[in-house]
Amino acid sequence: MRSYVALRMVLHDRSSTTGALLGVIAIVFLVGQQLSILFGLLNYMSVLVDHSGADAWITSENVRNSDASGLISGRYADRVMGLDDVEWAEPMLISNGLFRTKDGSYESVRVVGTKRPRLAGGAWEFFAADQDAMLDRESVTVDRLDLEKLGNPRVGDITEIGGQQVRIGAITNGARGFQGTLVFASLDKVSDIARTPPGRYSAILVRFKESADKQAALERLRAILPERSVHSAAGLSNLTRTYYFTTTGIGGSFGFSTVIAVLIGVVIISLTMYTSVLGRVKDFAVMRAIGARKLDIALVVISEAMIIAGIGVFIGFVLLSVLLNATNGSSIPSFLPSEVPALLAIGTILISLMGSLIALRVAVKAEPASVFH
Amino acid sequence: MLLLKNIAKDFSDGREKRRVLFPTSLECRAGELTVLSGPSGSGKTTLLSIIGLVLTPSEGQMFIDDLEVTALSDVEAATIRLKRYGFVFQQAMLVEGLTILDNVMLSFAIQGEKPPADSFEKASALLKTLGLEGTAQMQPRLLSGGMKQRASIARALIKDPPILLCDEPTSALDAESGQVVMETLKRIAIEENRVVIVVSHDARVFPFADRLIQLESGIITSDTRESNQEEKEIIHASH
Ligand SMILES: Nc1ncnc2c1ncn2[C@@H]1O[C@H](COP(=O)(O)OP(=O)(O)O)[C@@H](O)[C@H]1O
Ligand SMILES: [Mg+2]
Repeated sequence: MRSYVALRMVLHDRSSTTGALLGVIAIVFLVGQQLSILFGLLNYMSVLVDHSGADAWITSENVRNSDASGLISGRYADRVMGLDDVEWAEPMLISNGLFRTKDGSYESVRVVGTKRPRLAGGAWEFFAADQDAMLDRESVTVDRLDLEKLGNPRVGDITEIGGQQVRIGAITNGARGFQGTLVFASLDKVSDIARTPPGRYSAILVRFKESADKQAALERLRAILPERSVHSAAGLSNLTRTYYFTTTGIGGSFGFSTVIAVLIGVVIISLTMYTSVLGRVKDFAVMRAIGARKLDIALVVISEAMIIAGIGVFIGFVLLSVLLNATNGSSIPSFLPSEVPALLAIGTILISLMGSLIALRVAVKAEPASVFH
Repeated sequence: MLLLKNIAKDFSDGREKRRVLFPTSLECRAGELTVLSGPSGSGKTTLLSIIGLVLTPSEGQMFIDDLEVTALSDVEAATIRLKRYGFVFQQAMLVEGLTILDNVMLSFAIQGEKPPADSFEKASALLKTLGLEGTAQMQPRLLSGGMKQRASIARALIKDPPILLCDEPTSALDAESGQVVMETLKRIAIEENRVVIVVSHDARVFPFADRLIQLESGIITSDTRESNQEEKEIIHASH
């Protein structure tokens, strides 16, 4: 009955219910949207590692992120190839280059060279043309999201990167790094663009056999190559994310705007719940007089907060999913890991309860004696 | 039976302590409609609040049957109010947003317990007796003042409380509605054998009184019960 009373009150007191709902929706929507951008950016940071299909990355020692490895010898690939655990080992070369657009201007791009024919660490999703187009030494990819920026090149167009002639072989779908435009090319082409010494690469990507114990295989690699860093893909991904997260201030800035969103929501919820309870003090006093304990009044107010929080969380998620659908496939980073919505919902409900505390205090203080004149 | 022994109440506004109810002894029996009257500020509400367990007396003792209810905890007082009292206020004080039926059922379920199985039929029957047939699913604001007040009587009576306390139940009503309410209260007292106490300074309610008590400046100045001496003896003998 107490929760039923709460429900009837919530339905009856429409203006305060609407106000408090807005507070809850603001929290879910703003925080959810902030988090989706943050996780979207985190994905960008480690995009190359996450899509490489490799189990291990051999890099120069003491790397702090996957984008900044010193050059190492390609002979490591040959050494590793002979091991029982290893399915394949392929070099990868990452560098920067200036992409010449049709109107003669230049755009800075990140060029990623992969070895033919396996193209390990290369493009993973295509918008136009496909993997086969990349088997050509001259072929490079550009991403669908970067087309406009790069002067709308089309498949088959010839242009230059770093003064080297290249041909647009394929258009990728959603290949975008934290440092911007990703261009995949052949190992030789990137070596030409970056003018690196032959046989020196940014990393060696290693895939273990299906049957191998991956952790043990990783340890064996480390033992064999003490002078180099051997990372698990997940380890390097985390290392890279942590590096950008802490060095760029992204963590702080997202944290700040999230806290602001939560604060605004809490203030709205507190104020509207407070006003709503003020308008109901007489009812609470009557309930007290006819036998409600303070606990019962508290339960009514808490139920009101829970009902509003529940509905608000639902509406907030509907709006959020509309937004995420709209931005999905656009250049706005957005991604929500599957466990985030549940945590966000629980968090919002707890915050709503906190917001109802002031109202709760007022409600339980309703004086049963005040009903007599 | 309701028994008050030397109940007094002091209010302190600021530093000063003021006695608004002087030691008062009173015994109210079931089956009797007692009207408590007196000028404004005479202490009627104070006395009713003490009887209704929403105000603790500064002195004296109070008993319901043989249960002492003088100094109860907040929760104990609430539970006794729930189980043994019905209240009718000056305004009907129905909860908006709840239907009339919900308002009546509220006094069953406010501590979270399930209403007895027959309570819906009981509530409907009660509403019918009070001339509120067909209002069960209506919102309080759609009813006239008199109907609301009768609905609040239904809310008070649904639990069969042995004690019914009414604070100026007719003062917000027109003469006719007031008449109906008082007739109802009178019938409840006598036919259903309850302690009914009505606070009112409305002379129109006096004819309904089995017993009329006048209060002035915190002192009972007249009491129509003839057996005043007998009452004192009861009070003395019983405790
Ligand atoms: N909570 C309170 N604090 C201080 N004084 C009070 C309080 N309640 C009532 N009084 C005083 O007690 C006296 C009796 O009041 P009350 O019982 O309301 O009288 P009545 O109901 O007969 O008009 C009045 O003088 C009133 O000012
Ligand atoms: Mg009064």
